[in-house]
Amino acid sequence: MSETNDKKVHGIAAEYTSVDTLMDACRRVRDAGYTKTDAFAPFAVHGIDKALGIKPTKLPWIVLVCGLTGTATGLLMQIWMNGIDYPYIISGKPFISLPAFIPVAFELTILFASFGAFFGMWALNGLPKFSNPVFTDPRFDRVTDDRFVLFIDSTDSRYDRAGVEKLLGDTGSEYITTVLEDDSPSKVPKFIFTTWIVVMALSIIPLLVVLKMRVTNSPLPRFHVFYDMDFSPSKDAQQSTTLFGDARAMRPDVPGTVARGQMDLNYQTGIDVEALAKIDSPRAAMLVRALDDAEAKEEAEAAAPAAATASVMETTPWLTDNPREISMETLQKGQEQFGIYCSVCHGMNGAGNGLVNRRAQKILAATWVPPSSLHQDSLYADKYPDGKLFNTISNGIRKMPGYAGQITTENRWAIVAYVRALQKSQNASIDLVPVAKRAAIEKRKAAVDKKLAEQAAAEKKAAEESAAKAAAEKKSST
Amino acid sequence: MSLAIPNGLDNSVERPGERAPLVLDDTTFHDITETVCQVAERKPNKAWVIGFLISFALLQWFGICILYLLYTGVGVWGNRSPVFWGWPIVNFVFWVGIGHAGTLISAILFLFRQDWRTGINRAAEAMTIFAVVCAGTFPGIHVGRAWLAFWLAPYPSLNLWMWPQFRSPLLWDVFAVSTYGTVSLLFWYMGMVPDLATFRDRSKNKWRRMAYGLLSLGWSGSSRHWMRYEKSYALLAAFAAPLVLSVHTIVSFDFAVSQVPGWHTTIFPPYFVAGAIFSGFAMVLTLMIPARTMLGLEKLITIRHLDNMCKIILATGSIVGLAYGTEFFIAWYGQVPEEKFAFLNRAFGPYWWAYWTMVSCNVISPQLFWFKKFRTTPWIIVIVSIFVNIGMWFERFVIVISSLSRDYLPSAWAYFSPTWVDWSMLIGSFGLFFTLFLLFCRLMPVINMAEVKWTLAKQHHMSHEDEH
Repeated sequence: MSETNDKKVHGIAAEYTSVDTLMDACRRVRDAGYTKTDAFAPFAVHGIDKALGIKPTKLPWIVLVCGLTGTATGLLMQIWMNGIDYPYIISGKPFISLPAFIPVAFELTILFASFGAFFGMWALNGLPKFSNPVFTDPRFDRVTDDRFVLFIDSTDSRYDRAGVEKLLGDTGSEYITTVLEDDSPSKVPKFIFTTWIVVMALSIIPLLVVLKMRVTNSPLPRFHVFYDMDFSPSKDAQQSTTLFGDARAMRPDVPGTVARGQMDLNYQTGIDVEALAKIDSPRAAMLVRALDDAEAKEEAEAAAPAAATASVMETTPWLTDNPREISMETLQKGQEQFGIYCSVCHGMNGAGNGLVNRRAQKILAATWVPPSSLHQDSLYADKYPDGKLFNTISNGIRKMPGYAGQITTENRWAIVAYVRALQKSQNASIDLVPVAKRAAIEKRKAAVDKKLAEQAAAEKKAAEESAAKAAAEKKSST
Repeated sequence: MSLAIPNGLDNSVERPGERAPLVLDDTTFHDITETVCQVAERKPNKAWVIGFLISFALLQWFGICILYLLYTGVGVWGNRSPVFWGWPIVNFVFWVGIGHAGTLISAILFLFRQDWRTGINRAAEAMTIFAVVCAGTFPGIHVGRAWLAFWLAPYPSLNLWMWPQFRSPLLWDVFAVSTYGTVSLLFWYMGMVPDLATFRDRSKNKWRRMAYGLLSLGWSGSSRHWMRYEKSYALLAAFAAPLVLSVHTIVSFDFAVSQVPGWHTTIFPPYFVAGAIFSGFAMVLTLMIPARTMLGLEKLITIRHLDNMCKIILATGSIVGLAYGTEFFIAWYGQVPEEKFAFLNRAFGPYWWAYWTMVSCNVISPQLFWFKKFRTTPWIIVIVSIFVNIGMWFERFVIVISSLSRDYLPSAWAYFSPTWVDWSMLIGSFGLFFTLFLLFCRLMPVINMAEVKWTLAKQHHMSHEDEH
């Protein structure tokens, strides 16, 4: 027993089997003046703090401070990050948009306060603490089951072993024991430290390797764990790909696509598309697609034989009116454009005798098809509607190429207007001329007529003269 | 299964002027310890082993799907224009909602001094943690490059030189869900420490003693400790109560702050919170009813507990039903054509089947609980609560998918179809959830012994007072 006597006494504990006896004992011990006491129970016994004289905890104050720290952290963090250090506009909100900052500030308040309540409680309780003198008694194991223990510390100022044992004996306890100081070695074994240091040292190596790789250059390609989009397969327009059935990297428009600004199909095609849709809806649908798709046009032409094309030209509901507003300006534009693009073949007056035609006739070009005279009956508006004329300018006919690529839609309609004016001018009667200008026209006509008559007379005279001369020469020779 | 309740276990009868006992059958403190500890101490029964193997297999499959997704890209999901917020977000909102009952039981019922919560709060809190784990995986991998998900955190990045955008509800979500997960974990663990000390003190095996010794932090049951512990518990409950309301409110902001018809409504926060509690309680019942039978906990999780939870399901289910009606009313009353269309489209459009599944599961099926017979018959409760879970999953599906698939521009409409990866991940997430829950049943105290003992002491004390 000498060993036991060597150990310091930690205190004296008494065991109870019910809450009520424990509470009574607590009150008696408190009334006897002991302050360094504690009760152990498997659950929170309400009212025991009063019975033992335990002061209220300051935990709520810790939690309050933590909570306010959370609020401040949340607000300041957001104000600093989104308002000051990296301000950027999001849907017109101010940089420091407090209402939007409330949720995060609220969450951080709760988070910090909860940390305060959780860790503060353990800290105030002095836990974790795995060595406790009361644990040395195996009977103490039942404190977490169904037993209650009252403990008086030996450091209490009123502590007196015999007196305490007597006091506790009076409280109805069946088991009173002396708790000795726990003298088991409190030093952590050395191998735990060694292992800990080795593990820490090893675990830092990968981190150091990554850090070194981040700050140094290397001729080796970068090590990719995740490829992200670093190697995305981009293609150039003319390249091929296996992604699509037709192997083309550049994708054609989806059927039915209408480019921006091309919604007015009538204007673009010269066809009354609504009427066309009624009589030939597939072709009307095709028009939408064909506008920007040369390939589709080729297919359409290949599908329709030449003879059929002719009949299609006849049956198409061409626009009969020029959709462009006709004004002096339009006509001048048309004249200018006609001069640039059309006159080379059709001639300045549209009679079909332009320079190219004359040259072709001169060299007897074998494949040449002479340009039409715009003044033939079949090209007049009643037989050849404006829309059809526009279509011819756009897409060409016989030897004539399409001019859609060179001349804007607007200007092609201006040319149509000018051609109509040109046609009219060749067959105009004087009635069409404004009365005020008639006199001047008449006068000019008379002048021209006179000049023409003079010319004709001169020519006639010259011819007679030459004929007479030839006859005289003949006579003289014979 | 018979409808009869074993003799002496029916505490659902109301006796005027008397509180129904929450712990049954002349139980003592030691009985409670024995009942709860035997769950973890004896060998697992067959049902547990089979359940665990199935869940664990599903968890493996979940992991494989995630690896496949990370390797290939989020294109393996069915999310296509215009439904970019598809299946994963449905699952996220569903799982976050499931978690809410745990916090509600442990925090709000605690603040209202509802002692009946003590029998079920531990398992419900565990369910919360595991549901949040399941929920967290989905937005985590939904961001596309999941390995860069840490960019959401406000840390001084040397790569980006910029900060997260705090005016977005999606970032509020990061803070809300992670705070919720953290606080729930603290709350759950702290509540377990005294019970873990019981485990420690009962363990015969050296390793068990060491493991539970470490986990219980040297808890001795000192009254001073208990006093601070109770204060801390009350404070955490007081924080968790507004937290649980804020979390689902913020999740609803993800939708409500947008301009999408059917989402842009002020009813979303309360409606989402009610729905979350509704689905959470359904999940608690789905888990607890088989568990109480298989683990032999009928004396602690009594018919009265089930009865009370059914009443909450009935109440929240009716709130959810009212919210569905209100949405329709406001869509009509507000006279925004897109909004009106969105709701007609939900009920009669291509997703009509999802909508009516939702209505029949969420609004109609809980109405059974008006009858006491149904509230006290466990197998009926399980069936209804499974229906509620299905219905609540469909609610999220209807909200997310139907609004996105048909918003303002008919030219941008499309029908969403999930891929096999979508399906696998939904089922796999249940594998994760049940694996964790079954492990919890084996390794941790499934019932808060300390609090149940406290309830029992109070019960004895009150009957004492009656005698005087």
